[in-house]
Amino acid sequence: MRDQRPDFTEFYQRSRDGCLRAVLVSVGDQDTAQDVVDEAFARAWASWRTVSRHPAPAAWVVRTALNANISRWRRRHREVPVPDPGLVADFPAVPWDSRGPGDPRIRAALMRLPVRQRQVVALRLFLDLDTRRTAQVLGIAPGTVKEHLGRALASLRDDLKPTYHQESPS
Amino acid sequence: MNDNELITAVRESFTGVHSTTPAAQIVKRGRAVRARRRVPAVAAAGAAAAAAVAVSVALTGSHPAAGHPPAGHPASGPGVVRLAAWTVTRQAGGSIKVTFREAADAAGLQRTLRADGVPASVTFTGGQNPACRPYTFSGSPSTPAGQPFRGPVNGLIGGPGFSANPKGAYTTPYALVISPSRLPSGAGLQIWTSGTPGAAGNFQLQVGVVQASPQCTGS
Repeated sequence: MRDQRPDFTEFYQRSRDGCLRAVLVSVGDQDTAQDVVDEAFARAWASWRTVSRHPAPAAWVVRTALNANISRWRRRHREVPVPDPGLVADFPAVPWDSRGPGDPRIRAALMRLPVRQRQVVALRLFLDLDTRRTAQVLGIAPGTVKEHLGRALASLRDDLKPTYHQESPS
Repeated sequence: MNDNELITAVRESFTGVHSTTPAAQIVKRGRAVRARRRVPAVAAAGAAAAAAVAVSVALTGSHPAAGHPPAGHPASGPGVVRLAAWTVTRQAGGSIKVTFREAADAAGLQRTLRADGVPASVTFTGGQNPACRPYTFSGSPSTPAGQPFRGPVNGLIGGPGFSANPKGAYTTPYALVISPSRLPSGAGLQIWTSGTPGAAGNFQLQVGVVQASPQCTGS
């Protein structure tokens, strides 16, 4: 049957967690990330003939999800005032799920990064895209990708370095 | 902490984040996306096909009855779809049929009617030509004695102006059959629209018999 697309299902099973994590780093809210990623995968299914030939289908999904998030913000913006998703990045970090595994300090530190740095981190670290592909997805120069990644890692390292408390002499 | 250790730590902090949406749900949503896309796609394909027909008519069509294909408003043979705003066809017996589909290119229609011997003023701007004066009927000189009166438009005339569309709203193709021989001497036709131009269903096509004059009907 035409609608049965086993290669899509395989792609979905393989990529969905990475795409969700990449989008989550960018949008900062797990429910929103899940919804826009689902929408992006649905669009990928609807255009699978094209998307399957994309050099990085997962990057296509992430880019589509991020665009969907912007569209959603614009729709909501016409109804009620909501913060620009680009500005949300600069809001105080709010861990999306404090009960989740891993180090909540790392996730909080990620959320304190500027949105473009977060996007670079998401694509490079969670989708394993190289510099050139990351630059293509984000529409920026490869040199800018390297610059953002370097600054992001520096900020994270600085943010996560152990804090030492000087013990007062007794 | 070096870069590799940092990257590993960042990745591990997300290991508990999983997508929980079943593939079947994505596929269902994908079908809805595809269905949404198909509606405008089908409409666009229809419009493209219609445009192709119109172009082919414009290139090959001739005016079989009147012998003059008005530019951009071609007539066509039987069974051929015609999509121009209006079509002017000279019929047997000398009558002229004007089929309206859209109130557009008033100047072209006016020029065509005048070329066919109908003193006419055509305006689609939502009002009458201020240069036109109503023609006052005093009988029909072209009506043979003992015959019922037959006017110059659709066999009728309702005075200086009447709604040409019996349904009131100009929403579907509508035809006027003009009989130039029934126009009184010194009279012409004024065709205009009332209401909002371009808003289908919200304006009426109007026809009136007016005094022929260079300012109104061109002669």
